[in-house]
Amino acid sequence: MRIVCPFCGERELGEFTYLGDAKPARPAAGASEDDVFDYVYLRDNIAGAMSEHWYHAGGCRAWLKVTRNTLTHEISSVEPAAGVGAAKVGA
Amino acid sequence: MAEFSWLSRSPLEHALVVGAHGARDVASGISLTEVRNFNLIQIMARRGKGAELASAATARFGVAAPAVPKAVSASDVTLIWSGPDQFLVLSKSGKHAMDILSHAFSQSASLSDQSHARALISVAGAKARTMLAKLSSIDLHPTAFPIGAAAATSIDHTSVNFWRGNDRPDGQPVFNVLVLASFAESLWRTMLDAAAEYGVDIGLSEELG
Ligand SMILES: [Zn+2]
Repeated sequence: MRIVCPFCGERELGEFTYLGDAKPARPAAGASEDDVFDYVYLRDNIAGAMSEHWYHAGGCRAWLKVTRNTLTHEISSVEPAAGVGAAKVGA
Repeated sequence: MAEFSWLSRSPLEHALVVGAHGARDVASGISLTEVRNFNLIQIMARRGKGAELASAATARFGVAAPAVPKAVSASDVTLIWSGPDQFLVLSKSGKHAMDILSHAFSQSASLSDQSHARALISVAGAKARTMLAKLSSIDLHPTAFPIGAAAATSIDHTSVNFWRGNDRPDGQPVFNVLVLASFAESLWRTMLDAAAEYGVDIGLSEELG
């Protein structure tokens, strides 16, 4: 499997580290215990297109949001994760 | 209180032996040279300050800092892309040092002195590309990786900053590798093994060329 890093270009899998599901969003302050439990512990086991976080540890060290089909490993999109390229945030 | 006297040494001080290595029945196809005594500063833009850093860098170095994986050189410095909104400043020892640069970029960036945290290895010669192909998955064909191309990548599972410098006077390509000090000896030995069959000329430069 190869991932096309938006900063570095196409690279082998060995340069990347997998974090997991990119979907969970931190609940607002004061959210119920169930919502927080869900956010911290519960993950969907998706067979198909999944949004994931990958880290280009052996390259530019940017966090990426990758849409990957867990059945075929086909990657349909790669984009910088929120906050990557700190200079652009709020620019 | 204990008194310390800091002495900077190359991480390759023990591993590097100047001279011929590997095959002797062929003309040396690879030069492996460690370059010592350089200043290396990592510069990263602060939040929302990318444009400000870019103009400060142009004013300071006389060339624009690379926004894509490239290495650009001016008379006394090489700026090497190392990731989004960040680059490395490589210069001769004492030239673009931390205390000087920290003033120039105090408004727009965070700086980190890496001068003694990395080893700089130059791989050159007719077989340099062939030898590096054993260790790297980057496409080093001249059309894909021309002079000035750079990559933040891994060689033999070791993170490096890698770029192609100007060709040698004899027309052979030069590839430069910046590796973290604690990984330098391991990578050096891996490179020696990969290069041995082509005949290696091991060298040492006390100054950035
Ligand atoms: Zn990358």
